[in-house]
Amino acid sequence: MNPFKLEIGELERKARSIRRKIINLNANSPAGGHTGADLSQVEIVTALYFRLLNCAPDRTQDDTRDIYIQSKGHAAGGYYCVLAEAGYIPEEWLPSYQHNDSHLPGHPVRQKTPGVELNTGALGHGLPVAVGLALAAKRDGSSRKVYVVTGDGELAEGSNWEAALVAAHYQLDNLIVINDKNKLQLAGATASIMRTDPLDEKWKAFGFDVHQCEGNNMASVVDVLEGLTPAGKPHVVIANTIKGAGVSFIAGRPEWHHRVPKGEEIERALKELADV
Amino acid sequence: MSNSEHLANIMVQCFIDAVKNGVDLVPVVADSTSTSKITPFVEAFPDRLVNVGIAEQVMVGTAAGLALAGKVAVTCNAAPFLISRSNEQVKVDVCYNNTNVKLFGLNSGASYGPLASTHHSIDDIGVMRGFGNIKIFAPSCPVECKQIIEYAIAEQGPVYIRMDGKALPELHSSDYKFVAGEPSLLCDGDEIVVCALGSVVHEAVAAANELKEKGVHISVLNVSSIRPLNKGTLAAQLNKAKLVVTVEEHNINGGLGSVVSEVMAENACAAKLIRLGVADGDYAAAGDRAYTRQQLSIDSVGIQSICQQFLQSE
Repeated sequence: MNPFKLEIGELERKARSIRRKIINLNANSPAGGHTGADLSQVEIVTALYFRLLNCAPDRTQDDTRDIYIQSKGHAAGGYYCVLAEAGYIPEEWLPSYQHNDSHLPGHPVRQKTPGVELNTGALGHGLPVAVGLALAAKRDGSSRKVYVVTGDGELAEGSNWEAALVAAHYQLDNLIVINDKNKLQLAGATASIMRTDPLDEKWKAFGFDVHQCEGNNMASVVDVLEGLTPAGKPHVVIANTIKGAGVSFIAGRPEWHHRVPKGEEIERALKELADV
Repeated sequence: MSNSEHLANIMVQCFIDAVKNGVDLVPVVADSTSTSKITPFVEAFPDRLVNVGIAEQVMVGTAAGLALAGKVAVTCNAAPFLISRSNEQVKVDVCYNNTNVKLFGLNSGASYGPLASTHHSIDDIGVMRGFGNIKIFAPSCPVECKQIIEYAIAEQGPVYIRMDGKALPELHSSDYKFVAGEPSLLCDGDEIVVCALGSVVHEAVAAANELKEKGVHISVLNVSSIRPLNKGTLAAQLNKAKLVVTVEEHNINGGLGSVVSEVMAENACAAKLIRLGVADGDYAAAGDRAYTRQQLSIDSVGIQSICQQFLQSE
């Protein structure tokens, strides 16, 4: 049971609050950040933690809890802001992001941060581990679901497709893969670096139940994720997002892969993200 | 001394015994059902094995996920592919995440002989030593292998076990008790200590026995436990020697030769050191085991020759 179960309007307000946290968190980082990646997945992770996941801050060791895996580990900043908003970690930790000896390193570390289920950072690791978790749940007769968010650039790592084969072979319909398809990666546009489209056809050919949503539209995200029904095959949701979504001068700009807001940019971003 | 036994058979029997004793053990293979000789396990527990196909990366990642869900996950695969193909999965999913995965590197060293260097695993100890928290063992004979596996299954956290690919006779008596970290002294001699790893311990013992008939007494230390390692025990043995020889079916860099040289340096051991194994910058020759070992001087004849040359030069 999710302890929040928020309605769409409340989820949208949460998402704005989390975006403000992301701006402040990155502004305080002494080591850069991944502001664009943090912002593109906000609706997805907010919907999961505040409506869908059968998990709660006081149940992080419960064997029946759903598992969320942040495979695109460089979006750790946004993930931490959701964990703080949901009460898994203290809000006071956020300004320490990427500082020395912080509870919040630049990529997720489960030994450091309550609520983090898997250490990631190197890409292409989340899905194979999620397959193992989902397979174990199936065999144990558990109702657990395993959610994984990957980037679209990340899908060039071949380990994802090895894992896709295994997930389909073992009919893991308790596995939900969400591709945060923001169409940008470190070196530029994903379509020019390594084309993954037609992504839906690839997943379908691999044996997945394939869905698409508008990944920065909360109603669309919730509608698709809640509409998934067991089909004897693993699910994938291709979430069409904008890198840096929510802030006009960050959205869709490749340079914000690594950048953090500075000076006037902070105020401008926070103003755009004010509650309406 | 009992008959020879293939270490993979010991491994599979340990898995069967563990499940019968209530351990939620799940083997994960990458098509490697014949390599791992796992059929008796599958017959005993038809729905337990996970086979991911020829895909070592997802084999290790899946094992980590199974372990996070509370299983004792054991991967059984040819050592060269387990270690090289899934290097980052071992580093990140198993070691960094500290998952309860036991990695069995089968047919390690140059066990695959004539199949040549793609199939040789002469870097696995060095690679594993670079990952902070994984325990590393190389059993030399059936009774030791059984005890190492039982220890590994009972232990929480990552373990790598380097398994030889041929049937091996016993080196230890049936009342042998494996203690993690402790090298076992198989022959007690005078000025020369031979430290050996895995199946080549047999070559070292054979060399010691043949030298004994010529009136030369050398010590043989079986260093089956690379991590943990009681460096004090090892240093005490090495400090008695004028010559230390390391013998391994592994590159001399990163393996037992490196371990021993580090212990000697850290403990101001004055002995001369000769590291036998695959030479710096080289690969093991393709050929049968006797040929490969002869080429590397890690067979009984080569070890004897090194010892005798030293004694003559004194």
